[in-house]
Amino acid sequence: MLQYAAIAMLMLGLYGLLTQRNIIKIIVSINILEIGLNLFIVSVGYVEGGIAPILTSDFNNNGLVFVDPLPSALVLTAIVIGVGTTALGLALAKNIYQKYGTFEIDEMGEE
Amino acid sequence: MSAILLIAVPLLAAFISILFKKYAHYILVFVSFASVFALEYMDLGTITVGGFNAPFGIVLILDDYSLIALYIVNTLFFLVAILNCNEFKKVGSIMLVALAGLNGLLLTGDLFNLFVFLEVAGIAAYLITTTNKKPLATFNYLIQGTVGSSLYLLGLILLYAMFGTLNMADMASSIASSGYGAGVTAFPFLLMFIGFGVEAKLLPFNSWTKGILANSNRLTGPMIASVYAAAIGFVFGRLLTNVFVIEDTFLIIVTIILIFSVVAGEAMAYASTKVREILLYSSVAQAALVVVVFMSGFTGWAVYLIIGNAAAKLVLFLITNTATKQLGNDDVETFKGLFVNNKIIGLSFTAVTLSVIGLPMFLGFVTKMNILENMFVSGDYIWPAIILITSVVEGIYFIRLLLNLWYKENDLPEVKFEFVLKYVVVIIALLIMVFGVYTEPVQESADDLVAYSYIEGGNL
Amino acid sequence: MTVEFLILVALASGILAYFVGRLNKVLGAVVTIVASMFIFIMIGYMMQDINAGTTFNYNAVEYMPDFVTFMVTYLGLFFAILVTFIFAMVSFFNPFFVEKYKYPALYSMLYLFSLAGVLGVFLTDNFMVLFFFFEFIVWSGLFLIPLGKNNKAAISYYAFSTAGSFALLYAIFIMFAETGSYNLHLGLATVSGTTEGTYVLALLAFAAFAKLGAFPLNVWLPRALGKAPDPITAVFSGGLEKLGAFVAVLALVKLAPVGDIAGTLGGLTEATFLFASQYIVATLGAMTIIFGTLMAIRQDDAKKLLAYSSMSNGGYILVALSLGGTLGLSGGLYHIVAHALASAAAFLAIGAVSRVTGTTKMSELGGMIHKMPVTYMVYLIAIISMAGIPPMGGFISKWLIFQAVIDNGLILIAVAVFFGSIGSFLYVFRPLAALFLGQELPQHRDKAKEAPFFMLLPMLILSGLIVFTGVMPNIFLDFINDVIAELGGTGLLLGDYTITGVNGVLQPTLIASVFGVGVLIAFIIFILLKKSKKVGLMDTYTAGNFIYTEELMHYSLDFYAPLERLYEKHINITKDFYKKLENKVVDFGRMVKYFFFTNKPEITVFWIIILIGFLLWGEL
Repeated sequence: MLQYAAIAMLMLGLYGLLTQRNIIKIIVSINILEIGLNLFIVSVGYVEGGIAPILTSDFNNNGLVFVDPLPSALVLTAIVIGVGTTALGLALAKNIYQKYGTFEIDEMGEE
Repeated sequence: MSAILLIAVPLLAAFISILFKKYAHYILVFVSFASVFALEYMDLGTITVGGFNAPFGIVLILDDYSLIALYIVNTLFFLVAILNCNEFKKVGSIMLVALAGLNGLLLTGDLFNLFVFLEVAGIAAYLITTTNKKPLATFNYLIQGTVGSSLYLLGLILLYAMFGTLNMADMASSIASSGYGAGVTAFPFLLMFIGFGVEAKLLPFNSWTKGILANSNRLTGPMIASVYAAAIGFVFGRLLTNVFVIEDTFLIIVTIILIFSVVAGEAMAYASTKVREILLYSSVAQAALVVVVFMSGFTGWAVYLIIGNAAAKLVLFLITNTATKQLGNDDVETFKGLFVNNKIIGLSFTAVTLSVIGLPMFLGFVTKMNILENMFVSGDYIWPAIILITSVVEGIYFIRLLLNLWYKENDLPEVKFEFVLKYVVVIIALLIMVFGVYTEPVQESADDLVAYSYIEGGNL
Repeated sequence: MTVEFLILVALASGILAYFVGRLNKVLGAVVTIVASMFIFIMIGYMMQDINAGTTFNYNAVEYMPDFVTFMVTYLGLFFAILVTFIFAMVSFFNPFFVEKYKYPALYSMLYLFSLAGVLGVFLTDNFMVLFFFFEFIVWSGLFLIPLGKNNKAAISYYAFSTAGSFALLYAIFIMFAETGSYNLHLGLATVSGTTEGTYVLALLAFAAFAKLGAFPLNVWLPRALGKAPDPITAVFSGGLEKLGAFVAVLALVKLAPVGDIAGTLGGLTEATFLFASQYIVATLGAMTIIFGTLMAIRQDDAKKLLAYSSMSNGGYILVALSLGGTLGLSGGLYHIVAHALASAAAFLAIGAVSRVTGTTKMSELGGMIHKMPVTYMVYLIAIISMAGIPPMGGFISKWLIFQAVIDNGLILIAVAVFFGSIGSFLYVFRPLAALFLGQELPQHRDKAKEAPFFMLLPMLILSGLIVFTGVMPNIFLDFINDVIAELGGTGLLLGDYTITGVNGVLQPTLIASVFGVGVLIAFIIFILLKKSKKVGLMDTYTAGNFIYTEELMHYSLDFYAPLERLYEKHINITKDFYKKLENKVVDFGRMVKYFFFTNKPEITVFWIIILIGFLLWGEL
């Protein structure tokens, strides 16, 4: 179920990129896309009825089902990267606003 | 020496350079030179990171292929760095991050790690292109690059869900042994292909190139068109030859994309009247050609195609952007007669261009002939025809450009090229000529690369 | 003397010429004379060797990759001698012209580089080597042409030559895929008569057409020849264009003709049928003749006029070679010689005029005979040969070609061939009349003087040879018979002073003596009778009006206006076609740019979605 939600968010992000011509809205769209993607990655690692993959010495949980830990680790990295790109995007948005005085791509004119 | 230093040292240097902002550009030159130099002392082999063995942990692979790639990319990077370190002092730290990212891209044997380095290199590239002072173009690049790498990540995760591994070599062998048809893996591979297609400038995904390269300066032009293009080409080649399974519908899609890229790229260059636009559209076509050659399985010659293109684009963009800065714009009209008073620069430009077109006595000829020969031997008659027809178009616009730059009677443009630039450009042109005539080493090393497959890395 | 040594000599002396040329422009050009004379003489010596055996095989030396091989065959030697001779003769002009050009040192270097390329193309049995030097000539020629008047000519030269070269390359690779080797003879022999042979034939024919400037690939020829530096024009027309003839021999003679057999009206002794491929090439050759002739008639620029005449002569070569057979082959090969000599001489003569006057436009010239009588004689002899009048070489070759055409019963092509011959009377005499005869124009009256001795020398040698090929053709035909024998045909039947054709025996020496007697009588009359009186151009009036501009009185202006009016609407057919083709490419490029390259990220996203959708079509 989570997967479908994630894919829906992904699609939403793509839709936003396709239709929006406002710099900030584009950045928001790409964030939605990335969040959808991150959710999707997490959902891939989820195992029905699994528990957190933590190995402890005083409680033997070898017989239990674990959630795949790798996607979670990947998501952490992906989130960090996503934040980096967003920050960069916003910085550029500021530059663009300073240069053109608007966030609307249509109002900037072709170069 | 461990290859991991190639990533770690630039990254560390990047952080240090933030502390010593004034000396960032010296650090940059020193580190980029050191990494070229250090390659001599690298041992070939697989480096496991963090103590986890191959299919489970991240591995770096230093084999013949990545060694060549590292040599080329680091050398080109060093040249770009040394030529621009004074003019663009601000981006010294970013350039170091870019170097770390590019070396990581070339070394890694792990698909997710590749994504990370792709983003590191990508973010560095976005920041470097801000020196163009065209924020909108950079923003466009940023969005497209991010969408591309997100798609790459999505495809990667799908593959992970299917095969449970992220190691390239392990992935390839799992796919081969799983018995799934090509239809199953086509979707994730297409996503990854698109992701790389954005960076590699394949046609429908490359609208960022115009904004970036047509407004490039002496740093960004060579950096994006030469260094990044070479690195992405090499990594794409590794994926294409070792990981991707391209068949059926996917093959049709890829073929259409590539034919379209080659044909439209040359046509657009033909239709352009600005020097940088001509160069950038021609590099679109060349990038697609690199992919074609990798897909056909002629790894060695694809490597030489990348080398030839990267060296050529370095020279061409350096000269063009230096002249553009002094002349104010890059219309062919303005450039007319540029070489009349700059004969050395002109000769190098000419030699390099003739090599890109593939005329004899230059490296490009050797590469092109061997690629065509191999294609014919493997029974492919369509691609050679496309390549030859587009080559005619390519030749015409380049020759038109060259003749315009050489022949003009009066009212010549005044451009000064500094000494170091002349040196670099002449040496590259000479190398292209020398290996165009003395073909034996080229032939042998290319044959070696064809015979050799990289799968031995990655703990397999 | 091995071939690779000669090529290295040419390349090395090219580089030497460059550095000498940097110090002293003229001295650099003198190097070209020495080097090209040396190479011509060495190639000439090779002919003595080859008479002993059949072919000489020079294997490559160690420093070259093992696929580089050279081989001397009769066919290759025939072309090599001819073209190196033209190079050697034209090189005498270089010192007198080189100073005018923008990059004199480069000129000298590329001149010798082209010569090296010529040797490589003709004297190899390896296709890859052939292609290498083919392209090598293209790029050396490419930078030579714009030294003259403009860049555009060089670009269209490059476009057509490269299209031709790539067609050749594609054919080479088809043969390579079949045989696994680049051997020229093996490759052609293997594909001959097979399905691949059809493609190879078509592609090689395309290459030959492109290099010869034959219809419909003719656009570059008049442009390049009209605009190139004067000596280069001579080299192109007399020498480099013959690369096309060489490829034509490979395509039309060494490959079996393909296609359905079509009957003809039947001949006397020759084959009474032709293959479709022979028909097509012959027809295109005939169209080349007609097109070239009609266009030449229109020209005002003497160089362009001769360029179109070169094109039309290329048509003769194609017609002759496509028909094959003893007469066709020997006619075609002899025409290559005759035209090379005549056009080189004619272009050199025009070049000599343009050197002193600075123009080649006929309407701006006149009466040059008073100052340049020797140049006039050279031009006269050259055009007599071009028009195919005895006792010049051009007569012999046209005689053979006419017979070949008639004997194959090709009426329409025969009409074209005769039309071309008559047409050439119309146009080649126009520069003669306009440039050399008539009134001296005031603007050139003082500057003009006879060309210096070292320019006259090559022109006189060429003229001598033109006459010699017409009077004693058997010496040359002997060698051509060897070439034909090597190609697997039967040579002409030659007597001591006679050539036996299908419909009779030709005695060129007798014809020449009769002609000579006629000229002698005319000369005696000229000496004995009263001299003509020189008057100024303005010394006249027409219908009671005074003439104020001298140009209007120039009778070469709009000379054939009534004839031109018949076809002047259609002269740009080929030019327009290529212009439109180019526009299509540009339109396509602009369209893609418009659709894909904007500052809006949505374009990329859109196409990504489309592609994914395409892959998943029917799956979801």
